[in-house]
Amino acid sequence: MSGTDIAVAALLAAVVLSAAVSAIGVLLAKDVYDRLQFSFGISAVGVWAMAAAVLVKESVSQAGIKSILIAIIVFFMNSVLTHATARAARIRRYGNLDIRPEEKANRARERDAA
Amino acid sequence: MNIWLIAAAAMLVCLVPAGIVCLRGDAIDRLVGLELAGTLVTITLALLAEGFGRASFFDLPLTLALLTFAGGLVFARFLERWM
Repeated sequence: MSGTDIAVAALLAAVVLSAAVSAIGVLLAKDVYDRLQFSFGISAVGVWAMAAAVLVKESVSQAGIKSILIAIIVFFMNSVLTHATARAARIRRYGNLDIRPEEKANRARERDAA
Repeated sequence: MNIWLIAAAAMLVCLVPAGIVCLRGDAIDRLVGLELAGTLVTITLALLAEGFGRASFFDLPLTLALLTFAGGLVFARFLERWM
C-alpha cells in the first residue's frame, strides 16, 4: 500500500465521517436552525475531502478539475441555500425578519454581562 | 470493489437519516433533509464516477449540484411566501 493509497483512504474516511456526523446531527437536532448548522458540515468538510482525494489519485486531470468544480459549487451554493432556508424558517415563524423584543432584551442582557 | 465504491456505499447509508427527516416534522425541516440528501447524493455520484474510473461520469454530480441549489432555493422561496 503506497503513500497515495493511504492518503486517499484517510480522505475518504473524512468524507464518510463528516457525512455521518451531518446526517445524525440533522436527525437529532432540536430545531431547524440546528439542523441547518449540522447539514452544512458535509458541504464544509466532506466535499473538499472528496475533491482532495480525487486530486491525490488523479492529479490535475479531467476528473480532478471536475471534482474541484463540484466542491466549489457545493460549498458556495449551499452557503446561499442555508441562508435562504434559515430566512424562510424565520419568516414562516414570525411573519418578518425583524428582531423580536425578547431577543433585543436578551442581547442587551448578554452585552451587560460581558 | 475498490475503496471508492466502499465509500460510496457508506455514503448511501448516511442517506437514511436524511430520508427520515424528510418524512417527519415541519415543511421547512423536510426541506433541510432534502438539501442534505442532495449534497450526499452529489458526493456519492462523484465517488462512483471515480470508482468506475470514468471521468465523463463526473458531469452527473456537477449537474446535480447546480440543480440541487436551484431546487432548494425555489422551495425555500415558496415556503417563505405561500405556505
